[in-house]
Amino acid sequence: MASLVFFYIAAALVLGGAITVVMTRNIVYAAFGLLASLMGVAALFLLTFAEFLALVQVLIYGGAVVIVIIFALMLTRMDDFRQISDHKGWPMGAVAALAVFGLMVAAIVRTSVNTGPREGVSFTVMGESLFRDWAVPFEIASLVLLIALIGAVVMVRRSDPDDDGSPN
Amino acid sequence: MIPALSASAFFLIIVLNRVLGFAFPGSRVPSLVAPVISIGAMLAGFVLFWVVLVDLLQNGPGTFSIGWLTVGETEIQWGVMVDKLSVVMIGLVTFIALLVQVYSIGYMKGDPRFGWYFAAHALFAAAMLALVLADNLLFLYVAWELVGLGSYLLIGFWWEKRSAAQAAKKAFITTRIGDVGLLIGIILLFRATGSFDISTIFHVAASGGIGTVTLNTATALIFLGAMGKSAQFPFHVWLPAAMEGPTPVSALIHAATMVTAGVFLVARMLPLFELAPDVMMAVAITGLVTFVFAGTLALVMTDIKRVLAYSTISHLGLMMLSLGAGALAATLFHLVAHGVSKALLFLGAGSVMHGSDGETDARKMGGLRTKMPITAFTFVIGALGLAGLPPLAGFFSKDEILLGVWADLNPAFLVVALFGVFLSALYMARVVLLVFFGPLNPERKGAHESPPVMWVPLAILAVLALGVGFLAFNYTTDYQGFAGFMSPGHHFEVTGWLMGLSIAITLGAFTGAWLAYSRDTISHAALAQRFPLIYRVLVNKYYIDEAYQWVIDHVVLVIARLVALFDRVVINDTGVDGLAISIRLSAMRTRVIQTGYLYTYGTAMAFGVVGLALIWWIFLT
Amino acid sequence: MIELAHFQVLGAALFAIGLYGVLARRNAVLILMSIELMLSAVNINLIGYAAFVDFTEAQRALGQVLIIFVITIAAAELALAIAIILRLYRNRSTVNADEINLMKF
Repeated sequence: MASLVFFYIAAALVLGGAITVVMTRNIVYAAFGLLASLMGVAALFLLTFAEFLALVQVLIYGGAVVIVIIFALMLTRMDDFRQISDHKGWPMGAVAALAVFGLMVAAIVRTSVNTGPREGVSFTVMGESLFRDWAVPFEIASLVLLIALIGAVVMVRRSDPDDDGSPN
Repeated sequence: MIPALSASAFFLIIVLNRVLGFAFPGSRVPSLVAPVISIGAMLAGFVLFWVVLVDLLQNGPGTFSIGWLTVGETEIQWGVMVDKLSVVMIGLVTFIALLVQVYSIGYMKGDPRFGWYFAAHALFAAAMLALVLADNLLFLYVAWELVGLGSYLLIGFWWEKRSAAQAAKKAFITTRIGDVGLLIGIILLFRATGSFDISTIFHVAASGGIGTVTLNTATALIFLGAMGKSAQFPFHVWLPAAMEGPTPVSALIHAATMVTAGVFLVARMLPLFELAPDVMMAVAITGLVTFVFAGTLALVMTDIKRVLAYSTISHLGLMMLSLGAGALAATLFHLVAHGVSKALLFLGAGSVMHGSDGETDARKMGGLRTKMPITAFTFVIGALGLAGLPPLAGFFSKDEILLGVWADLNPAFLVVALFGVFLSALYMARVVLLVFFGPLNPERKGAHESPPVMWVPLAILAVLALGVGFLAFNYTTDYQGFAGFMSPGHHFEVTGWLMGLSIAITLGAFTGAWLAYSRDTISHAALAQRFPLIYRVLVNKYYIDEAYQWVIDHVVLVIARLVALFDRVVINDTGVDGLAISIRLSAMRTRVIQTGYLYTYGTAMAFGVVGLALIWWIFLT
Repeated sequence: MIELAHFQVLGAALFAIGLYGVLARRNAVLILMSIELMLSAVNINLIGYAAFVDFTEAQRALGQVLIIFVITIAAAELALAIAIILRLYRNRSTVNADEINLMKF
């Protein structure tokens, strides 16, 4: 019972944050909305006894992703009074989103899975699984991170002496 | 078998000669090589003719054929038929061609294209021989077309002269009209009988296997082809124009060989014609009209060669008339007699031109018999032969024809034919008197006789013209005259009243001509003034050429422009260009999808996913 | 009692909202944020399955491992995307998605 209430609160946080991201005119509000949404997801992780994941979520998303996004927002600010309004064709986008949502709900309703009470996995078991059974994908994932890092650095650095990093 | 083999052998020689002649155009080879090859081949052919003749008399007619190609179920042959008709034609063609080629050595001396002349001559001879020997209609048609080609090449031999090139074109196009008819007729017969072979067609027709309509149409179309080649009215317009070619060419082609191809065709297909009496009547009428019509025109022409040309047309008409009356032997006899006489006349005219620096206008001549006695003498013999005075061949052949006409057709035909006979004698006498008799025309002071290489053929032909007539009589029980030779059971008959009538008419015409042209008793100039309209019509050849030109301008060219318009607008603009334009347009419309906006792509993707899921859902579960 | 369906529907809803954000927003960075939302929706789904479905322990562990991977890849992609946006901003002084439309006809 309590878990249900907890779930709804977490859900509200997630969805509320999400709606803020997609609807607000103020980009900083959008960034904070994202943060809130992601924290809600962390709460959901806790609900399912995945504590480590909640930790990772908070650390990485809250600590790194949102920060980087805010940096990006700051660095790409055009003159202060110009706001980028939403696309003119947003109703069609809404319809598309709703269609996809409907599709997924229909899929959910129609499929049946064997369910049991919620159960988590202990941290050690997960660690073992990650580093033993799925070691190779893990290494590859770290490789992907490395490439992304290098790629980002290459892309952003100034390539010729005239280029001082400012527009025009 | 043997006659057929040898027959095919000798026109092979001709073809070989043609190939060789073609491979060595006169400039690269000493100028006597080409004529030697060509004449050698013709001589060989002439010798073979005698071999074949003897064989025919001993063993009877025969055929020989090789399979050529097979289309579906029909096998097309390359075959040779030797019978009396083809043998007679072979003899005529080889002999006249031989003489003409010898004559040409003298006449064409110095011409830059000397070798090519003989090559074209040889081609023509080969085609003509193939035509008369053919045993199936397809082969005949191929040879027919080749003959047309040969005549085109020879008429247009001096193609630098614009009038010559145009004359060659005119000949080819006019005969083409007939050729199309011939082809359609052949196809009709093929569809009705399933074969091109002539004897097969005769069998089927005789046993009633061809419907009347088909038969009539096919024979009429075949006659159309004959009309083209044999210059019957109204397709005669090419023959006078063909005089642009060298005179020996006219002697060969327009006296003895090509124009007789049409007559030969009808003669060869006569069994078929006899089953279609309406068409026979049409043949007779056309022949009669041509006979008289051309005779009237020959009367007013001033160019010697043109007179001879119209005379040829006229006598071809007479031959057609005779065929229309079903008198095959008479026709053939006249064909030979006319061929010999007319060739003689043309070669003689060539001799006159050669000695008069190329002048052909008869008004500018006169009294040439003192300057060119041999030519004059042989020419007169030829003229008498043509006009039909006994004992020359022309008399007997004409008489036989008149007999046939009287026996088979309405008496009115005979009356009109006799008028034609009158004309025939009249214009021949006119020419002779104008050119050779009377006071010597001062312009012709430098005239001289031709070299022996030219007058020897003339002499030979003259002897022949005198002698051929005697072939007509009955000699032994085996040989009952030419008539008996062609159709056993017939023999030469003496029809007193008809013979007397024709002699009288001929002599009357001679007298009239003598009075008009030699004595000036009946001045033709005065006659011309008395009947100006008739005179003008005649001189302008009944305005037929103008009529043809009008038709071409207003009908043929208009249709051609319409077709060109159709081709440009419908096929090119709409079909070809239109296709390209429509593709470009649709591409322009379609590329708008690539907007470059993320929104567009994203939405489309989302909808796509939903759509796919729905499809999967609905159709696959 | 929480059920699997809760998580699933929540995941679907978050995904749909993220999708709308991608389609409707024009600031490139906001689009990026929406993509992050969509990835989070995937994570919610995954953890729901890992918790509720009758799996063995190894399989449940796999669910969590997958989530780790998703987060990792999301972070990497984010880094690169930001780099691109910054570069784009440097060249064209705009992050308006509508003005970045050269890949068209």
